[in-house]
Amino acid sequence: MEYIVETNQLTKQFGKEKAVDGVEIRIPKGEIYGFLGPNGAGKTTTIRMLLGLMRPSSGSVHLFGKDLKNNRIAILKRVGSLVENPSYYPHLTAYENLEAIRKIVDVPRARMKEVLKLVRLQDAANKKVKGFSLGMKQRLGIAAALLHQPELLILDEPTNGLDPSGIIEMRKLIKQLPEKYGITVVISSHLLSEVDQMATTVGVISKGKMIFQDSIEAMRRIAQASIHLRVNDPKAVHQALLVYGQKADIKENSVAIQTTADEEVASIVQYLVEQGFAIYRVEEEKRSLENIFLEMTKEEQIR
Amino acid sequence: MLSIMRSEWYKLRKSWVIWLLFIPPLIGLFLGQISMGDIGEANQWIIKLVMANATYALLFLPLITGVVAGFICRYEHQEGGWKQLLALPVTRGKVYLTKYILVLFLVLTMQLLYLGSMLILGAIQGITDPFPWEIVWRSILGGWVATSPLVALQLWMSMIFKNFAAPFSINVIFTLPSLLVINSERFGPYYPWGQPFLMMNIGGEGDNFFFIPWEQLLMVVGGSFIVFFFGGYLYFQRKAV
Repeated sequence: MEYIVETNQLTKQFGKEKAVDGVEIRIPKGEIYGFLGPNGAGKTTTIRMLLGLMRPSSGSVHLFGKDLKNNRIAILKRVGSLVENPSYYPHLTAYENLEAIRKIVDVPRARMKEVLKLVRLQDAANKKVKGFSLGMKQRLGIAAALLHQPELLILDEPTNGLDPSGIIEMRKLIKQLPEKYGITVVISSHLLSEVDQMATTVGVISKGKMIFQDSIEAMRRIAQASIHLRVNDPKAVHQALLVYGQKADIKENSVAIQTTADEEVASIVQYLVEQGFAIYRVEEEKRSLENIFLEMTKEEQIR
Repeated sequence: MLSIMRSEWYKLRKSWVIWLLFIPPLIGLFLGQISMGDIGEANQWIIKLVMANATYALLFLPLITGVVAGFICRYEHQEGGWKQLLALPVTRGKVYLTKYILVLFLVLTMQLLYLGSMLILGAIQGITDPFPWEIVWRSILGGWVATSPLVALQLWMSMIFKNFAAPFSINVIFTLPSLLVINSERFGPYYPWGQPFLMMNIGGEGDNFFFIPWEQLLMVVGGSFIVFFFGGYLYFQRKAV
């Protein structure tokens, strides 16, 4: 498969510490790739290396199948980016900020109006960006990133500091990009909830290492619910369930089974009662994606 | 390269830095007004120019140059301009060169403004002697050439420090001693920050085209230019943003 973004053993070392350690990213065309990890996990460092803002200590970055090292200009012509906080020139207006970029990327003037309209800043176009709210600055940053009609859009924490309505708006805007314009999007965040409604593929990074990379469906499958049985003697129940032919895990004072089908649960409970066990509680535990994400990154931190 | 230049010029002309260029010529005008002296020179213009050039070339030319170099980097430092600019399809070498050329151009503009202010000074004072164009051109151009290494160093420092005050302090630290150093026969010729004065000092060694020996021009001005320019260039190539 051809990947729009592909990194091989990408590593960045600051002194002794590896901020990014052997990361292998694979992003097919047209995906919205949620790049997740707690703060300080190495997201921004990785993104900076994707854009050539920082040199990798080792490993390589390929965008559109070309090595970034040797094809920087040709590649960057096709990439739009917003790294960390929105970047802008405070002494210029929104329109002038875009104009300064337009002179370099060389697109028609009409394109500036288009992108300003897309992020709904057309009414603030002639105001100095200094006085913009954070949300407006973020939107201007996205407009700037879209100015030269990139095929790959890299957004680092674009919802940072936005209010809930701003986040929803941003989500709407980003979600339509692959369908409408065929753009592949990479969006990083430290909160899964911010990307789980738009991401199609997810990569989770923790302590500089990629610990999960798959479709969002695969992540959802991990998050499937389970039934917890609180019983008088978990060990014996566990044994009995194995004899019965049901996989089960012993938790502190309960036994967990993966099935949630009503009929199956009913017959398991009936069986256990017939065996003479006392059942105190039958509870369904739903693990949210957020919990899965937290568990993933927590385990990694303990290790 | 041309497109980067257009973009850089656009960002610059929208700021108020350009107005700074008028300060040194105005101060020169003022100093020329109040200065009096007799240095045994017949031409009234030369007397005025020697007086005004000294303060201008020793202090204000290097200082304002540093401020301009600082400003051309300041709006990149302020709100993530560097990372936005360098993630565009540009090479770092071209960005660096563009900024350098732009500052150099502004310094030349300032030199010409200074020349204009001297002509105004003469008109105000009613000097009737013939204007020594030939000498004056040499000093205006010489001052510009002598400033080119200082521009490079200031640009380098301004790229390193996010804080505007740091490169400015460095500039002051090196500029102020030149008041003393230029009086030293031994060290004066080798001090890069003293060269703008020496090359604008029309009362100096008149035999040389630029008022200083060619070897000094090549060794001190040329040498410091190479060190500062390529130092900054290499730094910027590797700078992580």
